[in-house]
Amino acid sequence: MPEVDNVIKEKLKLLVEMDPKKMIIYPLIVFGIAIIIIIANYVMTGSFVKEGIELRGGSVITLQGVNVSPDEIAKSIKEKTGIDVTVEKFSGVGGSGVRVYVSAGDDVNLVREALKEMFPDVEPQTVVIGPTFGEIVREQGIKAIVYAFIGMAIVVFLFFRVPVPSMTVVFSAFSDMIIAIALMNIFGIELSQATIAALLMLIGYSVDSNILLTTRLLRRKEFTVEEAYYSSLKTGFTMSTTTLGALASLWIFSTAQVIDDIASVLIFGLLADFMNTWILNAGVLRLYIAKREGKE
Amino acid sequence: MKWRRILLNFRVIVLIFFLLISITALATRGLTFGLDISGGISITVKLEKPVDSQTMEQVKIALEQRLNTLGVKNIVVEPWGDQFVIVKVANVTEEEADQLIKTIERQGVFYAEFQGIIFATGKDILNVGSVSYDPQHSAWVVPFRLSKEAAEKFAQLALGKAGYPVDMFLDPPVNSTLVVSNRVYEAMLSKTFMLEGDMTLVERIEKAFGIKVVPYANVTPEEIAEIAKGSERIILLDVDGNLSKALKEMGFEVETRSMRSDEDVYDFIKRSLGLYGPYRVSEGLATGNPSTEVMISITAPKTDIQARQDAQVVSVVLRSGSLPVKLSIERIDYISPKLGENFKRQVLVAGIAALLVVGLIVFLHYRKIKIAIPVMFTSFSEVLIILGIAALIRWNLDLPSIAGIIAAIGTGVDQQIVITDELLGEEESRRRVKRSGVLRRMGRAFFIILASATTTIVAMSFLFKFFVGGLRGFAFTTILGVLVGIFITRPAYGEIAKVLIGERR
Repeated sequence: MPEVDNVIKEKLKLLVEMDPKKMIIYPLIVFGIAIIIIIANYVMTGSFVKEGIELRGGSVITLQGVNVSPDEIAKSIKEKTGIDVTVEKFSGVGGSGVRVYVSAGDDVNLVREALKEMFPDVEPQTVVIGPTFGEIVREQGIKAIVYAFIGMAIVVFLFFRVPVPSMTVVFSAFSDMIIAIALMNIFGIELSQATIAALLMLIGYSVDSNILLTTRLLRRKEFTVEEAYYSSLKTGFTMSTTTLGALASLWIFSTAQVIDDIASVLIFGLLADFMNTWILNAGVLRLYIAKREGKE
Repeated sequence: MKWRRILLNFRVIVLIFFLLISITALATRGLTFGLDISGGISITVKLEKPVDSQTMEQVKIALEQRLNTLGVKNIVVEPWGDQFVIVKVANVTEEEADQLIKTIERQGVFYAEFQGIIFATGKDILNVGSVSYDPQHSAWVVPFRLSKEAAEKFAQLALGKAGYPVDMFLDPPVNSTLVVSNRVYEAMLSKTFMLEGDMTLVERIEKAFGIKVVPYANVTPEEIAEIAKGSERIILLDVDGNLSKALKEMGFEVETRSMRSDEDVYDFIKRSLGLYGPYRVSEGLATGNPSTEVMISITAPKTDIQARQDAQVVSVVLRSGSLPVKLSIERIDYISPKLGENFKRQVLVAGIAALLVVGLIVFLHYRKIKIAIPVMFTSFSEVLIILGIAALIRWNLDLPSIAGIIAAIGTGVDQQIVITDELLGEEESRRRVKRSGVLRRMGRAFFIILASATTTIVAMSFLFKFFVGGLRGFAFTTILGVLVGIFITRPAYGEIAKVLIGERR
């Protein structure tokens, strides 16, 4: 393992030698692709990201430890109650089971009774959400994200007091969120209160690494830009891998959907953040510093 | 020597101090878990429109009173903002959960009854004044206005019947059969409920609501079934469960209520029937002249807080037939207690795994156990202190709160790495360039930490402020974790790392 670690760190050196202009272009291309995915999703489904029942309204009944094929369950519920339901399987180290989704207009109690007949020993977990409540959650979610973003931008500007690096930090955080949302679309993770919280959390995480890089490069005294960049890159790599490790173990060991969803969105965001901080932001900063020092 | 230098440092002492407090808090107070972990139901109720705090208080009392008749233990009604009320009950069965939901969905139904005749319902209560103290009669009074029809009907009924009982009901179990224990039956026939009237409570509720009362003595389930024919449901009061099973098998809807330790048999009967009163008819009301301005008075000294509360409840009950706002259920979360136990274990396992993974990865990067162990120790202390504070303030740890703790630990580890690398970098630079102070290096590390902590706190405050739902827990523990990090654990880690990494020289 230590050898692997060294090899990766050697590979990171390639980034140091890269042309700063190229460093800016690649992350922007990824950002563009993410935007296209989100717009495509909007065109196809009418929303930028698939909304979970917390936003749409409806019900979900979770049965832990049930190992019957989802199609079979859906079929027998249809036979017994005449209600169309969507059944999904989930599994993790902690156990597996199924989630049964019922649309907003249908009678949850009928479905619940049918399920009880089928699996008398399983204790269900039920969530029922009214459609207007979803409206409120969506409104609150958008509000929280927009305000948090503005708050973050103000804090960043106050700390650095130089426009170009500050704007890059803010853009990186934005791009992290956009890429995370695009990946949510690809992997079918729905927007819920939990994932909104995770997107907000991303703001915190991405600012973390970006501030590290910006501070190290702008306040470096005795090193060259390249040296300072390489040493920050190593720190950043250590940071990201530890956090990813912690999140992955969370994702593997829990079957609670709230925790799984938060963990996966944070993983998406951190991957995006690695690119946006260490390639995009680093590229911009190197150009910025070169220009500034050229003037002096 | 090394240990001494670490332990005698002020920041490390602060950390140890907080660790001790947390361990004590956890040991003595323990953690309280949210419903999504301990099991239970949470029902989010939306009010038709935003209301002021006074109306919110009325809604809260009305809901409490109505839900209390169900006999479910420990119901918590929590107003949230100006438009939501959350009803939370721990450890309920699915059946109880259903009853709670049905009760909330139904509008409260108010009846005023005299001699077995309902003379007023919610719509006849036109206006309820505020509770006040009447020093002349030394009683707490609730004045209200009756409709003209109801007042006339009552005047006729009560002619010459001063001292007779008037009952008020909120959500009585209409059309049901009550099977009651002997002591309950005796109490129902007693003077306490009869006052100076000539009808017992049993007779009055049968006549008014078709509620049949059967004492449970020497009767078989079959005989009860015969009596209960035509009743919507059978309610067992203070009667053991075997009967309930037998009746359920015969296809009846059966509910069981038992007495709480904090109530006597009279309170138990009142609660089960949704009965408020009985109130004595005063001389003035028994003259046959209709009066629309009436009041209920509870004789008690002014200092009697219980009496004042009772009066408050009566005033809400009078209003609740026509609650100022309509309620609708917006969200129901039900989780069985067994399932929650499973989640608790999973989270514990995931947490320990995350800690070990962090330690392992840190070790792989630096290949120094001297760094990996303090990093793990610091993260572990952070968790302990967050949990300790949660125990101290009795914060309900739900799944989002736990996710928040984990998120905080994630940023915590990141920042410890920043500190470590700054210190290691200093070692290198010292060899190459002329000395640059440890303080300046640490200063830079803490600038980075402070900037990112501020942004996280700003971002999370918005979540905390704007969300109705459980995500406030996520925001709360994240903010708490970040604060514990920058003020307690990170400074201590900085000191420990300074000693351990600097040691090499």
